[in-house]
Amino acid sequence: MRRLRFIAQKEFYHVLRDARSLTIVLAMPMIMTFLYGYAINLDTENIVISVIDYDKTSESRNLADRLYNSTYFSMPKTKVDNLDPECALRSGRTQAVLIIKPGFAKALHTGEPFSLGLIIDGSDNNVSAAIQNYASILLQRFLTERLDPHVRLPVVKISPQVLYNPDLQSSHFFVPALVAIILLMVSALLTSVTISREKETGTIEQLLTAPVKPIEILLGKILPYVVIALIDGIIVLIFAKIVFGVPFVGSHLLLLGFGLIYISTSLSIGILISSLVKTQQVAMMFTAITTLLPSVMLSGFIFAIKNMPVALQLLSYIIPARYFVTIIRGIMLKGAGLHVLAGQGLILLLLMTIAVFIASRKFSTKVG
Amino acid sequence: MWRAFVGLVKKEFIQILRDPNMLRLIFMMPLIQLILFGYVVNTEVKRIALDVYDFDRSYLSREFVNSMRAGNYFVPSRSEVSLRDLEERFKDGSGEMALVIPQDFSEKLVKGDQVTVGLVADGSNSNSALVGQGYAAQIAQKFSRQQANLSPPVEIRQQVLYNPEAESVYFMVPGIVAALLTMLSVMLTSMAIVRERERGTLEQLLVTPISTITLLVGKITPFAILGLFEMVFVLMVGVLWFGIPFVGSPVLLFALSAVYLLAALGIGMFFSTVTTTQQQAMFFAWFFSIFALLTSGFFTPIANMPQWLQYITYLNPMRYFLSIVRGIMMKGAGFFDLLPDITAQTVFAIVIFSFSALRFTKR
Repeated sequence: MRRLRFIAQKEFYHVLRDARSLTIVLAMPMIMTFLYGYAINLDTENIVISVIDYDKTSESRNLADRLYNSTYFSMPKTKVDNLDPECALRSGRTQAVLIIKPGFAKALHTGEPFSLGLIIDGSDNNVSAAIQNYASILLQRFLTERLDPHVRLPVVKISPQVLYNPDLQSSHFFVPALVAIILLMVSALLTSVTISREKETGTIEQLLTAPVKPIEILLGKILPYVVIALIDGIIVLIFAKIVFGVPFVGSHLLLLGFGLIYISTSLSIGILISSLVKTQQVAMMFTAITTLLPSVMLSGFIFAIKNMPVALQLLSYIIPARYFVTIIRGIMLKGAGLHVLAGQGLILLLLMTIAVFIASRKFSTKVG
Repeated sequence: MWRAFVGLVKKEFIQILRDPNMLRLIFMMPLIQLILFGYVVNTEVKRIALDVYDFDRSYLSREFVNSMRAGNYFVPSRSEVSLRDLEERFKDGSGEMALVIPQDFSEKLVKGDQVTVGLVADGSNSNSALVGQGYAAQIAQKFSRQQANLSPPVEIRQQVLYNPEAESVYFMVPGIVAALLTMLSVMLTSMAIVRERERGTLEQLLVTPISTITLLVGKITPFAILGLFEMVFVLMVGVLWFGIPFVGSPVLLFALSAVYLLAALGIGMFFSTVTTTQQQAMFFAWFFSIFALLTSGFFTPIANMPQWLQYITYLNPMRYFLSIVRGIMMKGAGFFDLLPDITAQTVFAIVIFSFSALRFTKR
């Protein structure tokens, strides 16, 4: 225990001595929360659409106004050439072109079938799906309002009710999950370079000849970073509350407990990587590619896991962030309790044990 | 001069490639990015888990539930649980939306009355809740029209250009080219220079008869070559494996990538002048990469961001490069189509690179 404390103390000095690194480690979560919270917004709005109106009637102008008055669409900065709409799409000045052929108003009055042309820049498949969806919603609304009010129709109306996030703020969804990503980033990146740094500077031999067990070295190296990560987590949570107004419905204590488990799991993975590679540069690249990137992509932080191919869905089960994202969203937004989330916590513990086990094996075989 | 330069580049290459892990990483990095970005980035809301609480249990209500399947937006499940458990299903994440059909659903519909159906959404995922409501309203309208035997008089006939199959891989691969060039050059360059400083070998290099500028160019040339190599590798995997179309001119893309590389290497060099340890350099580089990715329109369109953040994106060189790569590869855009982006990127590259080179030679 005493030896463990010395290793931890030494590691603490390493961290505190380097003021610049420490500042980065503490400032990074704030800037990241700010950036992520605002930059990631999946509500596609303000799509630039151009209307080429050959009909030139009050009805066709009405339809165009209907598009621009919604939050979905906005006008292009420069008017699109009627002869070559594709040029505007190619240079990205507009994302869609609606073409109203002559005869639109007449067809509305006579009830003849009529079709509007819509050319869409499909390069971003998500935006192009949104354009198709919004355009047909707005057209339907336009047509419904033109129906004779005296005709009684059997109508199914939907009355929506939203739980947990009634204002549908997208930051409430992303910011809690951001805690998972930032904790991982800080813990995995910091620890992954600690052992490789000792290898690079040649101090690892000194450490190994000292009368401490490999597992003590590993645990001693982890401890200081638990503290740092915890501080970072709290910073992000305070930011979530003050800047984004994210509610905290569930138990703080429960989140702290799960948070500690998650931090330890992330740190063990950093240590595992550190024990496998020789230089800091490789350690960092390795962490970025095998840990950080998959966590951002496969944890359900931004992209829904159920929409992924099956192979990647299976892979997501070994990503610790996946479980913590579920846990923190459950606790903060829905007030989920221990009995709902216990399973997720157990899996995190299991992943941690595996990582520590492999790391200490790798580490001790290097000694002998 | 030339011999010194070649020697320096050789030394740097040996240093990068002698670590087998590094070699593996160089090939793994683009492959993992291709798989993750190509298959995962899909923000379309589909297959929403819809719990159905049908209190009517009639032919019409079943018909209505069935119509919710259209377009693969909802996956309705007939739930036998009582309404009291509705929230439990939301809390553990197994349900996303619930449809509550009242007892008098078919009775009212047959009479030609208006009937209201309840739709409860787990709002924690705001986007899916919002889009799901829109889908449900659209489907309900269509269902109503069918019941009344009305056909819609005006239709939209759409034509999707450039990526008609709506493959997200097609959209992401050009982005990965930009992301790889950014991450690789900024991270590796900054760390490589700082490593020499950390180990004290930079002084040795500086006292050799090599001029500072040769030293600098020799130091970053390997990373430029590596970056372009990675780019070609990604493009080949993209075209041969994922079958993405490459519409525009490869020569133009290559030339503009070289310009962008200048900017990325310049940023890496700048970080190396403001840091003293590899760990610091790594954090700077990592942080910059995230900033560049987030504000370039790589994940989500810039138009979705708040206005003040949209102004900040103009300071991100990757923003311009991303629209250049996407424009050339997907739309076959030419030099003049992309002129504003090309101008901005070139100015950026020249300013950043010369600023950093000056800073470096002064130290």
